[in-house]
Amino acid sequence: MTTYETSSTQSNRNLAAILTFLVIVIVLMVIALLNAPTMGGPKVMASASTYLQEVRRTALPFLGAVAVLAIALGMSAARMVYREWPYPKRRLNLIMGYAFLAPYLLITLTFTVGVVLFAFYISFNNYDIFTPPQWAGLSNYAKAFQGKDFLQSLYNVLWYTLIVVPTQTTIAILLAVLLNSSINFKQFFRTIFYAPSVTSSVVITLIFIWFYLKTGYINFFLAKFFGVFGLHWQNINWLGDPRGLIQLIVQAFGGDIPSKQWYFRGPSIAWMSIMFQNIFTTAPTFMIMFLAALQDINPTLYEAASIDGANGWQQFRNITLPLLRPIILLVVVLGTIGTLQVFDQVYLATSGGPLGTSLTPVFIVFREALGSQGPIRMGYASGLAFILAVLIFFFTFLQRRFISNETQLY
Amino acid sequence: MKSLSKLFSLLSIAVMLLAACAPSTTQAPPATQPPATEMPATEAPATETTATEAPATEAPTTGAAAGSCPLKVEEGASIVFSGWGDETEQKIYRDSIERFKTVCPGVTVDYQPIPDKFQDKLKAQMAGGTAPDVFYVDDQLMNAFAPSGQLLALDDAMSQAGVSRDDFIPALLTIFTKDGKTYGLPKDWGTLGLVYLPEAFKDAGIDEPTEDWTWDDLRTAAKAIADKGTYGGFCMGADWARFAPFVFSNGGSFASEDFTTATLDTPEVKDVGTLVSDMYKEKSLVAPADVGAGWCGEAIGKKLVGLTTEGGWMVNFMKQNYPDVEWKAIEIPQGPKNRADIIFTNAIGVNAATKYPNAAAAFAIYLTGKDNQGEIVKTGFAYSTHPDQADLVVDPNDKAIASGGLLPDTRVAFWGPNTGKVNDAVSQALSRIFLGDQTVDEAFAQAQEEAQAALSGQ
Repeated sequence: MTTYETSSTQSNRNLAAILTFLVIVIVLMVIALLNAPTMGGPKVMASASTYLQEVRRTALPFLGAVAVLAIALGMSAARMVYREWPYPKRRLNLIMGYAFLAPYLLITLTFTVGVVLFAFYISFNNYDIFTPPQWAGLSNYAKAFQGKDFLQSLYNVLWYTLIVVPTQTTIAILLAVLLNSSINFKQFFRTIFYAPSVTSSVVITLIFIWFYLKTGYINFFLAKFFGVFGLHWQNINWLGDPRGLIQLIVQAFGGDIPSKQWYFRGPSIAWMSIMFQNIFTTAPTFMIMFLAALQDINPTLYEAASIDGANGWQQFRNITLPLLRPIILLVVVLGTIGTLQVFDQVYLATSGGPLGTSLTPVFIVFREALGSQGPIRMGYASGLAFILAVLIFFFTFLQRRFISNETQLY
Repeated sequence: MKSLSKLFSLLSIAVMLLAACAPSTTQAPPATQPPATEMPATEAPATETTATEAPATEAPTTGAAAGSCPLKVEEGASIVFSGWGDETEQKIYRDSIERFKTVCPGVTVDYQPIPDKFQDKLKAQMAGGTAPDVFYVDDQLMNAFAPSGQLLALDDAMSQAGVSRDDFIPALLTIFTKDGKTYGLPKDWGTLGLVYLPEAFKDAGIDEPTEDWTWDDLRTAAKAIADKGTYGGFCMGADWARFAPFVFSNGGSFASEDFTTATLDTPEVKDVGTLVSDMYKEKSLVAPADVGAGWCGEAIGKKLVGLTTEGGWMVNFMKQNYPDVEWKAIEIPQGPKNRADIIFTNAIGVNAATKYPNAAAAFAIYLTGKDNQGEIVKTGFAYSTHPDQADLVVDPNDKAIASGGLLPDTRVAFWGPNTGKVNDAVSQALSRIFLGDQTVDEAFAQAQEEAQAALSGQ
């Protein structure tokens, strides 16, 4: 192919590389510019000059940081184009590929990547959304680990993930297997099992708040249940009880864990109540995934196994479970990401209480970003959000490695 | 078969949806949200009709002092006004706007109520430059907007309109004053009074509360009622707002006057903390959750407790939800040092970026002025922010509650930009005490630490 290379293609090649570089830098800078000013509104948007004035006033360092990034990205893209250009087929593929990607890419860059970049920049600043950001270095990240709130929220979500993910995965598999068997009214059961997942989590949380009242249904039924055996049930204020799981066990043996050592107390009753509700809502979502996977399993496998004399449990253990493995791991990853980001139930049911035992990182991000308890601290909130993102990335990374290793077996 | 099960599925979904709708309509206001004016007050009092008729007769006499526009407004001014509130509150402000139109005919007011998540929405609007010209301001918005210059200082407009800061109840202005400038005019206020069920006192065979009651008298009575067992004793949640009158009446405070030092580990606070803790231990004090109520007002309505401290919102709440329950209110009890109550208040503020600052300021001044406040008081919806209009309160119970707000040592629980965190530290300390998690000393030592961290801006 090198025979095609003439002086004219050589100059084309240079031109293409330079053009690529310019396009990438310009597009990224425009996107940064669109995300840059720290205030909007009619006054700022009145004309291009008022807009640029606002950008100059508040966002020059941000633009500088993006420019460095854009130049680096542009150079590497230009190098790629330069390398591919002499080969007509690969050149066409390259151009076509990016042309088709362009509409989506532009929208994502503007509305997601641009915003994330801005948030990342803001996390190194003190920013109250009205006055220009003040450079603060790493202090927002350091601050996160100085107070008790964020640490406690991480502690809470770790318990949450640890308990919710295995439980909801197990329940989802069992439900799916149940619904995959030949029982009557299968469609009906599928619908009612799935109903909690399609219902808005706000609605479900409101219903559960009522269930969990000290004078609510759950206490009522427990009292009735224990009453049958002549036992007295002490009503529990489910969403307001901060006693931890480990603390309860220690208390049963006559000890106690003081408030200062909250990190030994384990998940609180309130937190476990929210866990229960979340399992109830999420398990059916994953049930559908398992159901789909189950229908993909070749029925002849079961036939062969039953001819060999395997009973139901053996079939489940040795055929169903191994074949579901890839989907199990997918569900675990999705479940982990979802549980680390839990927010709406907390926001509606407990607002982080009692005694901070249901605080979650996202809830703190929300609280700080909107300044509902103090001044608006958008920089601090962004910092927390990035710490959480790194954490989620870390867990996902671990699990992805796990997945790819395991799935290769099948 | 298939269609039958589909029908079943549809039915079950319908049932779920119905079940979902039912509880939310009856949800009680959260007890930890004390601001009086946020409480539902859906009863439309009879006096309101006269209020709406008034402007019609006033219209021709715009030249009169009472009926003239507070400021010289811009030609063709058009302003947007936003606040929270349910239907009742919206009607009251629609009526106020009608009255305003008769005194400042040149100004168009576009009322855009935001019933829910008002503060969040306002902050977003303000950042986006689309905030209304005139809006409600509470301590949260004051802290978010005033330091960065988003609120118009109203002092010039006030002096032009002949309105003085002295016209308002002094405690109300503390929140809305920064560096000696006024950024909001108090639109109404609320406070706490001692609310009780006379039948509970009769049941326990003790006398009803009197105006010279102390917190110790309250404890004795609550103990008697609780021991009798028909009703719970004194209802109080782990809530800073309900605890504040105890502290203030013992000469204490949550923070120093300059908002730099937390004062939660002082004997003034810990003494009353011990009182509350002892009452909780001897069961003369119960939290609303203990008796199965969302908040203490509801506990009174359901006749679960004998007495509590609640505010003027009880009047309409009881009228609307428990019209048959006989209840009474009296001024807040006397503390060891003095008699002092807590005040909740909200103001009307003006957007610094408004196109029509004069018209917007004129509207804010009119809404909070004596003419308009006098009309609002008559509806039983809220108290006037002018001390000389206190006796316009109609309902006797409401009047008794309101009197606590006018005591000389009564104050707002405002501690600067981190008010929310300081107050939250107090609530948390109380809940640790109630849960038996910590002693009073431990709980307030921790609260002191947390509040101090918040005040230092951490």
